[in-house]
Amino acid sequence: MLVGLGNPIMGDDAVGICVVRILKEKIKGRADLEFKELSVGGVGLVEEILGYEQVFIIDSIASAETPGKIREFSPQDFKDTEYASSPHSTNFATALELYKKFNTGTIPRMIRIFTVDINPEFSFREALSPPVQRAAFELAELVGNEIEQIRNQVGPSATSNTNTSSLA
Amino acid sequence: MKTVTINPVTRLEGHGKISIFLNDEGNVENAYFQVPELRGFEKFCEGRPVEEMPDITSRICGVCPEAHHIASTKALDALFHVEPPPAAKKLRELLYSAFFIADHITHFYILAGPDFVMGPSAPKAERNILGVIGKVGLEVGSSVIKHRSDALDVIATIGGKRIHPSCGVPGGVSKPITEDERIKIESIAKSEVEFAKFTMKLFDDIVLKNKDYVNLITSDKFATDTYCMGTVDEEDHVNFYDGKIKVVDPQGREFAKFPAADYQQYVSEHVEPWTYLKFPYLKKIGWRGLVGGKDSGVYKATPLARLNVAEGMATPIAQAEYKRLYETLGQKPVHSTLATHWARLVELVYASERLLQLSQDKEITNPNVRNIPTQTPDEGVGAVEAPRGTLFHHYKTDAKGMVKGVNLIVATTNNHAAISMSIKQAADGFIKKGDVSDGIMNMVEMAFRAYDPCYACATHTLPGQMPLDIKIYDKKMGLLHNIRRP
Repeated sequence: MLVGLGNPIMGDDAVGICVVRILKEKIKGRADLEFKELSVGGVGLVEEILGYEQVFIIDSIASAETPGKIREFSPQDFKDTEYASSPHSTNFATALELYKKFNTGTIPRMIRIFTVDINPEFSFREALSPPVQRAAFELAELVGNEIEQIRNQVGPSATSNTNTSSLA
Repeated sequence: MKTVTINPVTRLEGHGKISIFLNDEGNVENAYFQVPELRGFEKFCEGRPVEEMPDITSRICGVCPEAHHIASTKALDALFHVEPPPAAKKLRELLYSAFFIADHITHFYILAGPDFVMGPSAPKAERNILGVIGKVGLEVGSSVIKHRSDALDVIATIGGKRIHPSCGVPGGVSKPITEDERIKIESIAKSEVEFAKFTMKLFDDIVLKNKDYVNLITSDKFATDTYCMGTVDEEDHVNFYDGKIKVVDPQGREFAKFPAADYQQYVSEHVEPWTYLKFPYLKKIGWRGLVGGKDSGVYKATPLARLNVAEGMATPIAQAEYKRLYETLGQKPVHSTLATHWARLVELVYASERLLQLSQDKEITNPNVRNIPTQTPDEGVGAVEAPRGTLFHHYKTDAKGMVKGVNLIVATTNNHAAISMSIKQAADGFIKKGDVSDGIMNMVEMAFRAYDPCYACATHTLPGQMPLDIKIYDKKMGLLHNIRRP
């Protein structure tokens, strides 16, 4: 599954969602690949990826100095935020650890996180700035290639969706 | 009180940033809690079809999109002069009850719970949900996650999605539900009621049976004697979805009761030159600064404020818990900031019971869920109780329904003055003559966490949080201390 995180009406914050939309257009008709556009974090985000085997998460990261810079992280990189303070929500690392404790066997075996540096503006806009837009296309290419490699290595079944949590 | 003059260009901004200003003697003079002010929203909305507003406004906030969605939808009802059919109103309220359940469970177990279950002075590495699970057991932890998730499933059934529902349309909702769906929701609701009762018992065992915690809850150090605001039904019972906005004075006497459409007659917003964030206050009382009392227009709109303005709860178990809260604390209204956690659990019980009531109402499967608007749109106000306070949406359009003006007063903004006052009280105990004692971070955190302040756009970030940053300034705006928790 490919998850794009961000707020679609807050300018560069939407870069994760834009990358997902580019790839959705490019990679059509694949039953073994699902796309999600989400504006959520912590427990909510983890709940959305449970049951999927391999997950790519695309988000923005606040770094005013280098807008457009692409980075890759693993969940382990956020490990030291596990006990960090949060006035309103829990964080991704803590939420992931929480679900590991429940040992439900539904945590993806692969979670790769790609980010694009942005200069957060806190103003409403539907377009990306030029450097971030360029990065969105570059990242879409990169992630698209990664998805292809996975398919070539292990075959289509590796990305099948086993999520059955919905009530409907 | 000395006046702190801050150059207007040095506006205070930032996420979760707390600024504390000291007087000549080095004691706390003022404290301000800052959340990000999102700019340009009105401009962004102008010229758009107003029907887009429930989806646009729900994007303001990743924490309570349901509150914005429903307040916005109600504003559209008013703007298009259309009354939704009974089934639609009930489905909206049903979705909204499920939202309250998910939100209040999250707050109690994941955010506030660690302070009580692990203790306010426990090491940070233990004072979190993982520490709570370690103490109360995996089974309880699983139940927390299950009941939160089930509530989101109810939202998805009615609203189309677990997050950012999209069912609200002027005059109703976009689709009816089937009898099979109703049965599933009823089954979830029964379980939610039991879980709410269990949570209340847990609060009893861990908090109310601990003398130190009860002393902390009733301590003057954590009390703000302000006006209170909340929505009540015709019986003066707490209502999250609809009713009149009621305000009581610090002694609990009714000060005002008005329909949401009249909010501008009662609420005004004070502007300080050093912050983009406004301070709402009661217009007829006036702004006297960050002080409590009958002569100050500061009010709070929190779960505790909602209970304070009401005469009771509309469901039996919640009503019994409501009575017990006031009997135990020995007065009404209660102004203790930390009693807000208790009030939130009374509301969790009510939301669960209301979910069950509505799920057993056969009318919710009635296929007539929308009255198509036929009148010319002009202006409309919609309000709901968001989990963290009263939320107002106000739109104006041209005759074609294109947005000409937008005004929102969100819950955390309603509480902006009260939160700042609570932080000041907490900081007072830890700063004497310029010396800052250890423990200030924990107490300040506990003070503002009770309000469950909303961090808007920050919620989608991968770390899922913003660092807490306390800056302590002398009277000349010189930075004395910067205490930061990553």
